[in-house]
Parts: sequence; C-alpha cells; structure tokens
Amino acid sequence: MNEMMRADALTHDSEGVKIAIRNLNFYYGSGKPSLKNINLSLLTNKVTAFIGPSGCGKSTLLRVLNRMYQLYPNQRAEGEVLLDGQNILGPGVDVNLLRARVGMVFQKPTPFPMTIFENIAFGIRLYEKLPKSEMDARVEEALRGAALWDEVKDKLDASGLSLSGGQQQRLCIARTVAIKPEVILFDEPCSALDPISTAKVEELMDEMSDRYTIAIVTHNMQQAARISDKTVFMYLGEMVEMDDTDKIFTSPAQKRTQDYITGRFG
Amino acid sequence: MSDHTVRAFDRELELLGRKIAEMGGIGEKMLADGIDALIRLDADLARSTISMDKRLDALQREVEESAVLIIARRQPVGLDLREIVAAMRISGDLERVGDLAKNIAKRAVALSGEQRLPRAMIGLRHMGELAAMQLKDVLDAYSQRDVERADAVWLRDAEIDALEDSVFRDLLTFMMEDPRNITVCTQLLFCSKNVERVGDHATNIAETVHYILTGEMLPMDRPKGDMAGGK
Amino acid sequence: MNPFYARRRRTSSIAMALCLGATIFGLAWLTLILFTLFWNGFAGLTVAMFTEMTPPPNAQGGGLLNAIVGSLILTVLGIGVGAPIGLLAGTYMAEYGRFSKITSVIRFINDILLSAPSIIIGLFVYGAVVVPMGGFSGLAGALALAVIALPVVVRTTEDMLLLVPTQLREAAVALGMPQSYMIRKITWRAARVGLVTGLLLAVARVSGETAPLLFTALSNQFWSVDLTKTMANLPVTINNFINNPDPNWKRLAWAGALLITLAVLSLNIVARSLSGGRNPK
Repeated sequence: MNEMMRADALTHDSEGVKIAIRNLNFYYGSGKPSLKNINLSLLTNKVTAFIGPSGCGKSTLLRVLNRMYQLYPNQRAEGEVLLDGQNILGPGVDVNLLRARVGMVFQKPTPFPMTIFENIAFGIRLYEKLPKSEMDARVEEALRGAALWDEVKDKLDASGLSLSGGQQQRLCIARTVAIKPEVILFDEPCSALDPISTAKVEELMDEMSDRYTIAIVTHNMQQAARISDKTVFMYLGEMVEMDDTDKIFTSPAQKRTQDYITGRFG
Repeated sequence: MSDHTVRAFDRELELLGRKIAEMGGIGEKMLADGIDALIRLDADLARSTISMDKRLDALQREVEESAVLIIARRQPVGLDLREIVAAMRISGDLERVGDLAKNIAKRAVALSGEQRLPRAMIGLRHMGELAAMQLKDVLDAYSQRDVERADAVWLRDAEIDALEDSVFRDLLTFMMEDPRNITVCTQLLFCSKNVERVGDHATNIAETVHYILTGEMLPMDRPKGDMAGGK
Repeated sequence: MNPFYARRRRTSSIAMALCLGATIFGLAWLTLILFTLFWNGFAGLTVAMFTEMTPPPNAQGGGLLNAIVGSLILTVLGIGVGAPIGLLAGTYMAEYGRFSKITSVIRFINDILLSAPSIIIGLFVYGAVVVPMGGFSGLAGALALAVIALPVVVRTTEDMLLLVPTQLREAAVALGMPQSYMIRKITWRAARVGLVTGLLLAVARVSGETAPLLFTALSNQFWSVDLTKTMANLPVTINNFINNPDPNWKRLAWAGALLITLAVLSLNIVARSLSGGRNPK
C-alpha cells in the first residue's frame, strides 16, 4: 500500500482527475474489441454515470477499473487506466490492493453467508487487525455511512441474508466503504430494488459523493439524470459522448445520444 | 427524426404540435383582422375578431394540460423535453398575441364612425403588416424547424420598434395640432403599443424555436431599436 | 368443443396414463423389495446382533458386532481418505480451473469413474494394494471405498460450488480478497449445506458396497480391528451368509441387510432435509 501511496504523490499530473482512461481497448477472447479506444476521465469526488443499451460495454468498462475482468481467462485490456497517475493495467500492480482502493457494488445484493456484523468486519480484517472495541466502532461507522445502522443495530448477529433486498444492498455498500476505498464502482446497484429502496440508495450515493469518486452503470436514465455530475453515453463499445449530466439530458450534442435518451432507439 | 419506440409518445407530441399550429393560425388571423378592422373601422370584422379569442384561450389550456401530462407520464429528456417546454411557452405567447389583437379590435369598435383620422394610420398599418409577417415567419420557422429563419425574426424586431417610434411621434404631433384629436390618438397609441408587443411575442417564439433546435438560449440582450417600447 | 383441442386433451390423458403406469410399475418393485426386506429383517432382529460376534456355521444365536464395527471403520477410513481429496479436486474444478481444459478432462474421467462397476475398483485395489502387500487387509478395503467415494465427492463439490452465484465471488474479490481466502471463507461457506449433502451421499454410496470389499478386506469371522488383516464388514458378511443353507446365517443376513438399508435411508433423509431446507442462494 505504501508504494502505491508514494506513487500518488509523485504523479499527480492533472488536478481533479482521479482516474484517467487512455486508449483503452478490451477483448473477450480473440474477436473484435468490446471496448474501442476509450478516452475519458473520472473526476475526484464526482459522480459519473455510464448509460447505453445492453452490451454497449459500460459494465465491461467498470470491470476494467478494478481489474475484475482478470478473474476470467481470455479477457484482456489494452491501453492505460491511470489511478492518481499510476497505470493500474501495468505489470507489478497488486490487484488486491487495487481493489481495496477501488471498491465495487453489484447489481444483485451479495451479502456474505454470515452475520451482519461479520459481513462488515470481514473486509476490515483483511487489512487491519483491530481490538474488539475499535472493530465495533468501525462496523458502526460503516453501517451509519450506509444509512443502515438504525435498522440493524439490534440484530447485528442476524444473518446478512435475513435483511430485505434494499437493506442487503446498503449492507454491501457499508461493506465496501468499511475498507475506506477512494473510488466506488456501482454496477446497476438498484436494478433489483423497489422504488423506495432505490431512493434510499440514491440518497446514500448523493451523500457519499463528496467523499468518494463514484462511477455508476445504470439502465435507468432518470437515475443517471438524478444522481450524476457527468454522464457518459456508450454504444457498441465506443464512447459516443461525455458531458455534464445537465447538458446530456437537455441537449446532447450527438444524435445517437439524443435518440437513446429520448427512447428512439432501434 | 426517427420515431419513438413507444409510438403513443409520438402521437402525443404530434397532437401537441397540431394544436400549436392551430393556435398559430388563429393568432395570425386575429392580428390581421384586428389591424384590418382598425384601418377600415369595420366594426363587424372587429367583433368577429374578438369572438375568435375564446377558441385560442381554450387551445392554450389544452396545450398546457397535455404538456403537463406528457411530462408526468413520459419523463421526457433531451429534444422531447425541449419540445414540450417550448410548446408551453409558444402557446402562452400565442395566447397573448390573441389578447393583444382582441384589444386592437375592441378599440376599432370604439373608433368606428370616427371621421378625422391621423396620418399615423399609414404607419400603424405598416407596423401591423410587419408584425403579421414576423408572426408568420416565426411560426413557419417553428413548423419547419428552421433555426436561421427564427434567428432572422429575432433580429428583425428592431424594425417594428423603429416604426413604433415614428408612429408615436406622428400621433404626438397630431395631438398637439388639435386637442380634440387626443381621444382618437390615445386609442391609436395603445394600438401601436399592442402591435409592438405582438412583435415582442414573435421574438419570444423565435428564441424558443432557437432553443428547441440548438439546446441553447439566445443572448439576453437582443438588438433594440428605441426606448419608446420598454417591456 | 374445438376438435384440435379435444385431440390434444386425448393425447394428454393417454400420456398421463402411461407415465402413471410406469411410475406404479417401478414403485411396485421397490415396495416389494422393501417389504420382503422388512419382513425378513425385523424377524431376525435381536439385541444379540449388536453384542455378539458372527457365529460359525450351523450354530445357534450369534450376532454381527464384528461386521458392524468393521463396516464403520472401513467407511470412516474410506470417506476420511476419499472426501478431502474429492473436496479439493472439486474445488479446483469449480474455482481455479473453471475455464481450463484440464477441468473438462478431469470431469470426463471422473464421470467414468463415477459409473464404473465397483467390482472393477475392487480388482484395481486388489492388484495395486492386496497383491503387493501379500494379503487381504482392512486398509485395502478402506482404500477401495475411498476410490468409490472420491468421484461422488468430486462431482457434488463441483456442482455445489458452481451453484454459488458468481456475483458473490466477485463481491468478495472486489474487497481485495485473495482467491484462496475467498474460497475458504465465502464459497465453501455459501455451499456448506450442499457439500455436507454430497458427503452424506458418498457415505451412503460406500456403506453398501460389497464387490470391492470381496477383493480387498474380504471378511473375518472374528473380532479384529487390525487394518493389516482381513476385516469383517456387513456387505460381505451378508453376501456370505445369505448364500448358505444355515437358517441362522440367513436370519442374520436379512437383519444385516435391514440395518444397512435403514442406515442409508436415514443418511439420505438427512441429506434431503439439509438441502431442501434453508439453502443460501
């Protein structure tokens, strides 16, 4: 971790840019690239939303940012992804430490098969050895951070699976923030949730946005419009347009963006 | 532009567009007839002009209601959102145009039978023609999605303002010649003011059309001809 | 009524009747077997069965104690050797080598092993262990059972781990967890019920095996827990006793068969109730 921190200090090239993606190509197997020459930047402590039809590569792009694609053979990324100036696709990057800095929340809530407390403590223990009292405090902090504390404080020993879908998703967010990442990737975090739970998660993201750099992939365009500062529209593996969210949803520059957001596709 | 996947949305937008077009037609006719009635002091024409305003008001309410419904049901974004916001604004402008034309027609009724008409009537007629042309142009720009034509209307408003200035001076002179002319001239002064305002609404519509087509607002300060107008 | 619909309904009821018939046919035999077994088994069931050794031929009384204990030892040892290997192999296939060619090769071979006649496995262990060691032994019997249990455990482990949602793995890895840690702490835990079920099924499978033990542990009429000697066990004892005209032996054989059946049945029921119950998905 220390080495990475030092690298930060040395290579802070442009202010405000947390992640710079340069000339990124991505391949599933040997066929055509699934991401074609992507160039964009995620700004520090801003929410960037990725929208586009299914299969446009937005989730793929997200999975490059914490090198999740590496779990699968034949998946390959070319180009550069600079996290605080350091190329995370380069050799010698410890993916586990990278993933500690770049957390991820998934489409379906994925609580671990253990108690609510353990779900949070588990991740913390990967990096820190804390005495019981400090661990309790950290777990509480994380649960409060995910606006879940009041709902679960009396049943920390209950299984994480006993919570409702929305609570489970907030548990997953708590688990992610517990290890103090700098960037959080949300991969369609509300697509399995009802509107009330969705609103709670959105409120949470809004609250978190001044402390974390957030990237969210969503099929729900209104959601992108509601919560993001910047919106990226992707189509067929290419970035069609990236601009202020306000601009994208009132007067996008590209016709394809216009057609997509107004429901004129296909 | 290609169609929406949900075709009912297209039908709703189309209906909205048709209502705006109808409003535009009525507005143009009311303005032309109102001016005509004033110039010829035709009380019958004036009364029929006044009666048209009801339909215009009703249409404006319909446009507003369906626009609100579309926003609630479709959550429009991008071009669609601009279209709908524009429809609301344009229908408001046209409704005001109708009111102004109605006001001119009312004054035409009041002036009917008057013998001594000032020279300024010629300028006033010219103003009316100019305003009608502006209105027609901007409505064409709207229906044909022609941003250049809309921008041209926006720039041309200065001409009406200049004409109003000269009509104002003519009427002032006429009143100074003979105080008995004051009643007539005051009525005509209001008419000229109304026509000038129709021009302003045409400019508003031009701004709206520009916004629909480009997504950008025109600058706040449009070129102004005089200071006799004021908003 | 629409004629097409009427025909469909006719076809449907014929198919239904055929299915029902087949089910009844199959179940009838099963019921008959169980009935015979229970009838003869319960008749031979005595307390002495659990306390006395197998009797010599043409004697009265006696029990199956040495065979029961021998079976327990062989089963525990066989599972003790086979299950951990199977668990690790299955884990490799589902986690580390999920996309590699070698996994499909292993899976193919494992499936052959799974369906191989158990007598062949007995012969294999006979050639590999009994002959070099110079005689039948409990150890060889345990090894034969281990070889039988292995593919069952491999298969169930792989299947159960594959049922664990990919997103759960990714969620764990996304926290920066090393893979080995993720497997031990998350996937095994999530698949725990399924893994235990697989283990129980393997126990049920090996506890009734006769053929491989004939060539390896053989049998022993006397009490022996020495792994290097022949060892008594229920299946072989039943096999020996049932083919003998001695009514006392026949009686014990039926009782022993009932014992194994009940044991396997209860294992299956436990396995069922485990997997049928709270299944974390």
